[in-house]
Amino acid sequence: MKTLRATLSALLILALVVTSLPVMASVDASDRALISTQSVLASDEAGAERQRISDVLARADVQQALVSQGVDPVEVQARVAALSDSEAKEMAQRLDELPAGASGVVGALFAVFIILLITDILGLTDVYPFTR
Amino acid sequence: MLLESTYQNITPRIELVDVPFFAQSDYQCGPASLAMVLNHQGVDIRMETLIREVYLPGREGSLQPEMLASVRRHDLIPYVIRPTLDALLRHLDANEPVVVMQNLALPVYPLWHYAVAIGYDLSNERMLLRSGELERHSLAFSRFDATWARSERWGFVVKAPGELPVDVSARGALNAISAFEALNGAGAALPSWQALVERYPESGLAWFALGNAFYAEGESGSARHAFDAATRADPELGAAWLNLGLLLALDNESQASQAALRRAARLEGPWQARASELLND
Repeated sequence: MKTLRATLSALLILALVVTSLPVMASVDASDRALISTQSVLASDEAGAERQRISDVLARADVQQALVSQGVDPVEVQARVAALSDSEAKEMAQRLDELPAGASGVVGALFAVFIILLITDILGLTDVYPFTR
Repeated sequence: MLLESTYQNITPRIELVDVPFFAQSDYQCGPASLAMVLNHQGVDIRMETLIREVYLPGREGSLQPEMLASVRRHDLIPYVIRPTLDALLRHLDANEPVVVMQNLALPVYPLWHYAVAIGYDLSNERMLLRSGELERHSLAFSRFDATWARSERWGFVVKAPGELPVDVSARGALNAISAFEALNGAGAALPSWQALVERYPESGLAWFALGNAFYAEGESGSARHAFDAATRADPELGAAWLNLGLLLALDNESQASQAALRRAARLEGPWQARASELLND
């Protein structure tokens, strides 16, 4: 089962990368093409073409990472397509560090409960509604 | 905590009562917050759809870039706000609910959370949120700001194409509209570029972006006008001279085209080589 999944995700990644390739190939298809707004906004950091290629690779990385984090492969391409180039890059570089808004129940060690209870009463946190 | 000018310039008390409430079920504060601001903008959308778009099972939560991306998928534009309490209140005063990210607990033991700011009361120094299972969560400015500061005061508003938030920098708007355009096309972004040059006529990049959108829509006359305006607003913007030169060449105005390309070739930057090449053709 595990190898099936590994094979499937490898195939999926390949498919996603291949479908992204036309974007790379179309860079400067015509030397009369206008300079795009997106490449000017991105140009602060690197040359436009190098930028474009690294953007495509970043998107492939993010797709792979999202699938491994449990996102339905059917959904993943549309999710990554909706990211801007800089967002895709941020996701590719620091997916594990980005905060995930969730706010489930504070699981908990009694010590943590007491500390948060005190900080709540002091007005520094907002965990337990009954403190107000 | 707030600037004196904020007290003078905004309504003392605001509550955006027409922002609908969606209660979160476990870990779904991201989709719930999105549902509130999208429905407030007239997008009829259910939580289940948004969960598919932003929820990350491996992290049991939703990430900021995906929250913004989801807005674009519903033909609206997300604008990240300036990270100050003054800016947040200005948006609320202008009928713009704000999705905010908070850390409800402490940096060492984070409890990341999205909520929607819907109002404030200046004299009592209280914020109003739609948050989690609370339709109307009232809390002190100080407590709210302590939790919000831990996300570096991250938040965003949602606008339809053609409308700009009450408070946005030219660069912030450029990034937001450009990301929307990359997904939804130049035609969809065009009204926002027009609004941006009205708000910031001195921004060469805004005119440049408008020119590209016009050109992509087949309106090359308007595009030429916009690139020309871009070079007047910012004579150092090589890409604008280059695009202007290319359009002039298409119109067989070769002398004017060469002049524009020469300007582009003289400016240092990523497009200098390209401009020189075109000159030698």
